[in-house]
Amino acid sequence: MKRSLGERIFNVFNICLMLFLAAIMLYPYLNQVAISFNEGMDTALGGITLWPRKFTMQNYLTVFSDEALLGGAIVSVSRVLLEIVLSIAIIFSAAYGLTRKNLPYRRGLTLYLMIPAYVAAGVIPTYIMYRYLGLINNYWVYIVPKMFVFYNMVIVRSFLQELPDSIEESAKIDGAGDAYIMVKIAFPLCKPVIATIALWTAVGAWNDWTTTLYYITEPDLYTLQYLMMKLIKESEVAQKMAAEAAVTGSEGASFIPTSESIKSATLIVTTLPIIMVYPFLQKYFVSGVTLGAVKG
Amino acid sequence: MRKLKQNLSSGHTVAEKRGLLYNLSHYRTPYLLILPALILVLLLCYLPYFGLVLAFKNYDILSGIWGSPWVGFDNFKQIFSNEDMLVAIKNSFIYGVTIQFLGMPFPVVLALLFNELRSVKFKKVVQTVSYLPHFLSWITVIGLFTSMFALEGTFNTFMKSVLGEGYAVKNILYDSKNFLPIIFMTHLWKSVGWSSVVFLAAITGIDPTLYEAATVDGCGKFKQALHITIPCIKGTVLIVFIMSLGSLFNTSFEQVYGFQNVYIQQETDTINTLVYRLGIQNGKYSLATAFGLAQGAVALLLLLMSNFMSKKAFEVSVW
Repeated sequence: MKRSLGERIFNVFNICLMLFLAAIMLYPYLNQVAISFNEGMDTALGGITLWPRKFTMQNYLTVFSDEALLGGAIVSVSRVLLEIVLSIAIIFSAAYGLTRKNLPYRRGLTLYLMIPAYVAAGVIPTYIMYRYLGLINNYWVYIVPKMFVFYNMVIVRSFLQELPDSIEESAKIDGAGDAYIMVKIAFPLCKPVIATIALWTAVGAWNDWTTTLYYITEPDLYTLQYLMMKLIKESEVAQKMAAEAAVTGSEGASFIPTSESIKSATLIVTTLPIIMVYPFLQKYFVSGVTLGAVKG
Repeated sequence: MRKLKQNLSSGHTVAEKRGLLYNLSHYRTPYLLILPALILVLLLCYLPYFGLVLAFKNYDILSGIWGSPWVGFDNFKQIFSNEDMLVAIKNSFIYGVTIQFLGMPFPVVLALLFNELRSVKFKKVVQTVSYLPHFLSWITVIGLFTSMFALEGTFNTFMKSVLGEGYAVKNILYDSKNFLPIIFMTHLWKSVGWSSVVFLAAITGIDPTLYEAATVDGCGKFKQALHITIPCIKGTVLIVFIMSLGSLFNTSFEQVYGFQNVYIQQETDTINTLVYRLGIQNGKYSLATAFGLAQGAVALLLLLMSNFMSKKAFEVSVW
């Protein structure tokens, strides 16, 4: 079918607009990559756009040799893994329990779990409660509060409801016990939805820095994101690091990385896991959005 | 089915109400499976509700929540006599309205434009790129933009090349007048792509025969968008809009806190950042709780009101 002139003009305009949009979305990040590979002193002169002017690896060496950042990386990675495992265990078993046939009080239990998802008590009452529970300055504050997420539970539950009853029945006839059906049959069938939730949990946990801001004052428990926040917000810290690098580094004065370059290198290292994984797993992320629309 | 038949044959119907103890023991496995979630919600969500009484007390750390003296509505009265708090309320409102109302059309338009792209591959690439910022943390986004706006950053380099060497470099983040445009633009940058997903899903769900019929009737692409696509996604747009009204006073803490600096902090505080500063940093728990409670109550009221109005006017509602 022949398209009218107006439509063709619109299509060209649309494609140009999309290219412009993509450029705007990518530029800040690519600019940061360029700065992170540029010599600190040179960066301060300005004008770095998409390519480093004086290439150096020094910024990254400084970041990787920083013990605080290494400790932060360990806290960040371990909390992501623990949170995925524990939250999926709790969410899946709750969703599985709630979808059992003829379960009495199902509506009441669901309502009980739902209300706090809409009406939160607020920052201060939560803070005081965490203090009573001993979660302040405790590693578990990263994990316990995120173990049950109502919205994720709803997604798993609606997926479980879609599974045909005949699967469970035939397994029972074959002599499978309740635990076997839940772990070895229902759970593997939920894999797509579990993958989506695991990804969301991982990204949320990796990106979270306010938990540290609110509840942690112990430097050993700082996460990577929190350390980056401190670096971005407190230039003194960055200057201290640069001064330390000047003491330990044997290179010439021009190799002293300034705060801006260190900051860029930290930012790139911190976001790299997401940037690397995201394009390949995008379909799982996106499918989750529409999954949520299926309310049971 | 099997269980149903069993129940029927043994003379009991499923709907028959039995005692609590019978149910608990007969369905103990599912209840045990739900139990961890129930306990977590009780400890982390329900018990903190009791902490809200602090809003009506003068919290004293030695006496604890229950021992502290009652002060009635004094804390709430203080909110309206405190200069910083009034500024925070005003800011929260202005930032929230700008982001929710002015920002609303962008993802809808983006979804419509995505939908018009002919090449599937090109569409996929652009979508992937536009969703990306959603997966970066706010503090990463703030890091990217503080670097862009730094004295030696891209923004100043660009301005210099446009306005000539006479342009005096400055960091626009240090001027509170720029704060609203900056948080609006960065909000759009971070979320416009991802927010369009929901609308794009709604567009994909439209019955293709509608378009076929329109084509037969000689309706061009523009008219199809105007008369089919837009009316079909109206419900989705409304629901998203209603949901967003609940967070009208709830501008992202991470974004505002992240973009603040010593030069502009006082003029740009919102309710969220002030609650953090007052409560967690300065230990004024009672005042901060009252402030947070007032915000939460207004948010709930707004959500209920907008839901009610949209039910009446458009027969679309969240509940």
